[in-house]
Amino acid sequence: MRIKVLAFAGFREILGREKEVEMQGDASIRELLETLAFVSPRFREAAFEPSGILRDYVLLMVNRKRIDAEKDLSRILADGDELAIFPPLAGG
Amino acid sequence: MIEITDEEISLEQMIQRARSSQAGAVVSFLGTVRDDGILGMEVEAFRDAALSELEAIRQEAMSRFSLTAAEVVHRTGSLALGEAIVAIVCSAAHREEAFSGCRYILEELKSRAPLWKKEISVDGGRWVEGK
Repeated sequence: MRIKVLAFAGFREILGREKEVEMQGDASIRELLETLAFVSPRFREAAFEPSGILRDYVLLMVNRKRIDAEKDLSRILADGDELAIFPPLAGG
Repeated sequence: MIEITDEEISLEQMIQRARSSQAGAVVSFLGTVRDDGILGMEVEAFRDAALSELEAIRQEAMSRFSLTAAEVVHRTGSLALGEAIVAIVCSAAHREEAFSGCRYILEELKSRAPLWKKEISVDGGRWVEGK
């Protein structure tokens, strides 16, 4: 399945604004993030603690809806889903 | 009206749109780039998500404070010192509602709209820590 990944602010500087990631079979949000980290050590360092826990300041949206990174990382993604990755909001 | 734009914000036009015979007060807020030893600022948006969140916030403010109009424009792109980052204009029958609506939209925007600011300095750039 193909997932569209959007990244903003500091994460855009590492991953680029938009990319499509091909995943084999069922894949969770965590597995997608780990795939991105495997491909980009800079993203791994920015997004994950050394222990493998997602850092507090990584915010996520799936299909424009905020998800709880503590509870929902095991959620299985569907073909065509859009995952947005960004740091805490700083508009205004 | 809600807008996210690379163009300079015209507060005057926003005020004109917010004025009406039902309004006894029009309050405007302008957030601008402050010189904290920086050269300027870059603003980035998750545009579609930010537009829908700003519209939701606008509608909340309209009903919560009985506003007659609410306008929000947020800049993106490269901004010089002193330039406007965000403009909010609220009108209501009375000033208390117009002030409260303006304040509500600003505070909610800061914590809910997917927008980011990067301060540009001679040393490079630094993303402003958000909420």
